[in-house]
Amino acid sequence: MTFVTKKHLSRRAMLRGLGGAAISLPLLDSMVPALTAQTKTAASVTPRLGCIYVPHGAVMDKWTPIGTGADFEFGPILSALSKHRENVIVLSNLCHHMAEALGDGGADHSRATATWLNGTHAKKTEGEDVRAGTTIDQMAAAKIGQSTRFPSLELATEDMTGLIGACDVGYSCAYMNTISWSNPTTPLPMEINPRVVFERLFGEGGTVPERLARMDEDQSILDQITGSVPRLQKGLGAKDRTRMNEYLENIREIERRLQIAEKSAGSEVSMPSAPVGVPDSYEEHVGLMYDMMALAFQSDATRVFTFMMARELSQRSYPQVGVPDPHHATSHHQDNPEKLAKLVKIQNYHLTLFAKFLDKLKATPDGDGNLLDHTTLVYGSCLSNSNIHNHNPLPTLLAGGGAGTLKGGRHLKYPENTPMSNLLLTVLNKIGVPAERVGDSTSGLTDV
Amino acid sequence: MRIIRKNIAFAIACVGLTGFQVSFGQTAAPERALLDKYCVTCHSDRAKTGGLTLQNIDVTNVPANAETWEKVIRKLSVGAMPPSGMPKPDAASTGALVSYLEASLDKSFATSPNPGHATLHRLNRTEYANSVRDLLALEVDPSTLLPPDDESYGFDNNADVLGVSPVLLERYVSASRKVSRLAVGDPTQDAVAQTFRTRPDLSQANRVEGMPLGTRGGLLMHYNFPLDGKYAIKVVLARNTVDVIRGLEEAHQLEILVDGARVFLASVGGTSDTEALVKNPAEARMMIESRLQAHVPVKAGPRSVAVTFLQKNAAEDDYILEPFLRTTLDPVNEAGLPHIDQVVIAGPYNATGPGDTPSRRKIFVCKPANASEEVGCAKKILSTLARGAYRRPITPADIETLLSFYQAGRNKGGSFDAGIERALRLILSSPEFVFRFERDPAAVPDGAPYKIDDLELASRLSFFLWSSIPDDELLDLAVAGKLSNPVTLDQQIRRMLADSRSQALATNFAAQWLYLRNLKNFAPDPNEFPDFDDNLRQSLLTETEMFFSSVVNENRNVLDLLNADYTFVNERLAKHYGIPDVYGPRFRRVTLTDDSRRGLLGQGSVLTVTSIATRTSPVLRGKWILTNILGTPPPAPPPNVPALKENNEGGKPMSVRERLEEHRKSPACASCHKVMDPLGFALENFDAIGQWRAKSEDGAAIDASGVLLDGSKVEGPATLRAALMARPNVFVTTLTEKLMTYALGRGVDYQDMPEIRAIIAHAAADHYKFSDLISGIVKSPEFRMKIKTPADAPPVKTASLLDGSQSHNR
Repeated sequence: MTFVTKKHLSRRAMLRGLGGAAISLPLLDSMVPALTAQTKTAASVTPRLGCIYVPHGAVMDKWTPIGTGADFEFGPILSALSKHRENVIVLSNLCHHMAEALGDGGADHSRATATWLNGTHAKKTEGEDVRAGTTIDQMAAAKIGQSTRFPSLELATEDMTGLIGACDVGYSCAYMNTISWSNPTTPLPMEINPRVVFERLFGEGGTVPERLARMDEDQSILDQITGSVPRLQKGLGAKDRTRMNEYLENIREIERRLQIAEKSAGSEVSMPSAPVGVPDSYEEHVGLMYDMMALAFQSDATRVFTFMMARELSQRSYPQVGVPDPHHATSHHQDNPEKLAKLVKIQNYHLTLFAKFLDKLKATPDGDGNLLDHTTLVYGSCLSNSNIHNHNPLPTLLAGGGAGTLKGGRHLKYPENTPMSNLLLTVLNKIGVPAERVGDSTSGLTDV
Repeated sequence: MRIIRKNIAFAIACVGLTGFQVSFGQTAAPERALLDKYCVTCHSDRAKTGGLTLQNIDVTNVPANAETWEKVIRKLSVGAMPPSGMPKPDAASTGALVSYLEASLDKSFATSPNPGHATLHRLNRTEYANSVRDLLALEVDPSTLLPPDDESYGFDNNADVLGVSPVLLERYVSASRKVSRLAVGDPTQDAVAQTFRTRPDLSQANRVEGMPLGTRGGLLMHYNFPLDGKYAIKVVLARNTVDVIRGLEEAHQLEILVDGARVFLASVGGTSDTEALVKNPAEARMMIESRLQAHVPVKAGPRSVAVTFLQKNAAEDDYILEPFLRTTLDPVNEAGLPHIDQVVIAGPYNATGPGDTPSRRKIFVCKPANASEEVGCAKKILSTLARGAYRRPITPADIETLLSFYQAGRNKGGSFDAGIERALRLILSSPEFVFRFERDPAAVPDGAPYKIDDLELASRLSFFLWSSIPDDELLDLAVAGKLSNPVTLDQQIRRMLADSRSQALATNFAAQWLYLRNLKNFAPDPNEFPDFDDNLRQSLLTETEMFFSSVVNENRNVLDLLNADYTFVNERLAKHYGIPDVYGPRFRRVTLTDDSRRGLLGQGSVLTVTSIATRTSPVLRGKWILTNILGTPPPAPPPNVPALKENNEGGKPMSVRERLEEHRKSPACASCHKVMDPLGFALENFDAIGQWRAKSEDGAAIDASGVLLDGSKVEGPATLRAALMARPNVFVTTLTEKLMTYALGRGVDYQDMPEIRAIIAHAAADHYKFSDLISGIVKSPEFRMKIKTPADAPPVKTASLLDGSQSHNR
């Protein structure tokens, strides 16, 4: 069993990025195939949650399957998921009313990302007084993420900070730069650099002995610091003592993380070396990010992630699938068949990359089954028709077995105007978070 | 008590308040009468306007209500009270009251100085990077190593909010690894890649400062090459929004230089590239960019890497018609000149060794000739490093710990260097490096003030003036117990201000005080301001930093900050200001002939950070002046205030002035806006990016007139400046408060005001010299002393005169 398929993470493709065939680059694809899968008893199945966002909605008549229930056919966009049909539920007619203007004017791109996972209406402001709602990934992290090193991971592929005109007028960039809010006033920044993510997760990579040696070094430094604190506290005033106590507690928290890491380092997952930086190719970049999320699930470094595959207003072009035009410009298709066809290509392409992630989860044993069995993935956008910026109906699907709570292979068609928040609530309940409401939810969704 | 009485008598005698009859027996005093006549109407026990009553406050025992009186003093000093429209006492009477109050408070402070609270200080990002620079001769980018610091009271070095969290400590520990590897030159380091980007609004039509003559545009980077070895330098050219590389119609020569020496030259553009781009933009891009990479051997150490184009003869069509100064205005344009978008430096590959770097020269003060010399040499190296990092003499116990880490690294890594690296890691992650400890002496009773020792003073001094650790000279003086000698202290202050490290006062202190840090986030609407580009943004920052530094380095009167007849410009900025005969990217000092441009209020940096993307904001400018010049920040707006209507929301277009007048009809808004707005309106002749204009956004002639809070009439920047200069103490007080906040790493409160007045009174004697303010702060009880807190005392509460809207400073 290999953890990362050689095809997906081609060394040559990465080398092309830096152009020097003679140069050996430390890459994720040096992951050794000698992985020992995490073995857990069936009794201790851990639910995981991932939420994946794509911008600019979807061409709905090409997204929505034909037929309902178990008897349906994927359209041209979702055809990328054919192989995983039995692990996918497509949900139609969900909408996010709270992303509508409601008197605030344009800026649907900002409200789309700000509303998607919390069902609340974002406050119109460019200042620091941003306000939206706690998102379900963070509610989940508070419940199922506490025993892992990282309660949650927030990832993206595009850094548009500092760009002219990259945010909606009247709205802080924070709304568009993340889909995750730890509380109504704290947007969580999303990391785009695979190397930074990697170092957070695994330190600097390398072989097991190398990593253990480094952890040992970290440990000895932390021990030394801990040992020195009582001496340093002598002669300090009350407040400073308190601060040093906090410091000591934090050092212990790091030690705890280190110990968790050491346990997994010695026995379970072999680490690749760290990626060099942000790869040039979008496909590589997305692939690396998905690899790390799979690795993080596998090593139980985290159980919750959010991932923005591209940002709203993204002008990324997709020449690799025959769309050299910028995405956002194309998304204002004016019902031009040529532009619509290009959008379908982009949307299908995003799902192709997502399908590879599903491949990987499925190929990774976990407890009595595989990672995909134990994971709930929410995939979708918070715009519908990108030409007119509406939020109804939303392209939405679930993937994964949800640790036995999700039965895939179905297309569920709800009554029109069913709140997307109902699905958010349902997802939370299914992974064991006893919430009663999310945003404007009215009830849970039946049938899911 | 006797002294206070004397003062009253003095006050009466001085200003002749004979009009107020003393007819209330013992409690009656002219101060009381003045308050009763002009203040108590609103500030009564019943009305309590602004939360303040002066009806029954004891004017004979001023120190008993010091906090309240300091607020009164402040309002009276800037002429804000009584408000316009209400009867006012004459200036002499007000002055007498202020003098009386100040004298009472100052006297009380002199007999029982209160240095205020001081919290254990953690090095923030800037201080960490500067300390690493001074300790290891290594420039690091702290934003890649540590999370950002929260800011409070306008500065990000506030000890109370420099907290600790697991993520933060994790980053300190991992930073210690990265820094020590880089400094020592660990030969096992992996290749890494760093991407340098240009901002999308960077114009690249002209030579960049620091590039060779005869070049055009590009990017100049400073990069620490970790080891001797091979590096890949890869160039990405700017594309338009449909992914076509710009400006390749003609051929251009792209050059890469390392430390000024050409290492790469390639031709890009011309017929074949253009044809390829037309055929298949994506493929052509890959083909072209694959040619734009250099694989070059580079020696370890900090080096400049320049990526630029060779300047072509204008006759060869280098310039096409460019109506605007910003060359990248049109996002779909593919004509014009090629621009550098980003540069990636990756490596080392096939590393051959740590080489000879400034860091290694600084660290390895000895080299063991054989194994038997290793421990002795390690001892020498590590005690030098630890002394600098811990900012104190090293004990045998320190050495023992460090040597055990050295030995572990030596054994595991198999080399002397590996041992030093491991021990250096410990030094950099030690709490003694990361925190600034100040210990209460056992002999001092709880609650009593005491003088901090010379070593603690050395650290306070260097972090104040350099944002970094003390150097050997300071430490030597401190160890010898000589630093606290006032003469020595003044000598050291002068030496430190003359040292290049005092640049931190401009880039760290002034950049926060004046909100210059916000410049990088300012992106004006390109439709309204098509000339604004990153070149201008950078120039605006440089101008004000150089201007502030000139006051520091030349030890000028701090009022020059408001009033100087000179500034610093390069060609780009001179064009912006309409100053003739300035050519090239180098900054130089110019004498201003235009009165409006004088001082900070005429500088584009300040005018820009107080504007919004599409227009000026008199409110933001007024608020900025109230906060940063007058020291009386307005309170935060009440909740649920409607924002100023923008013109595009329907209806007949109104000027900003008209819209603000509308806004002021609400009494809740008026109380602050009638103070803020006139200050801002006086600067209306400067547009949102600081350029002079005669007409406003809506085409109407500018009306820059207004009445300030003290009743003085102003019209335009020069009269505003004159009004501010008329009360020099107000500005100097604000600056001193800001400096003190920054120096102490805490909010300044009413208890500090007597000392601030003393500092200013002293500085006023010799033209408010900058070094006199610094010297006054350094010698103040606040800076020199601490109060011993009982080990079980509850946490100290912090309060400030400057509370309110500080959090807007981002």
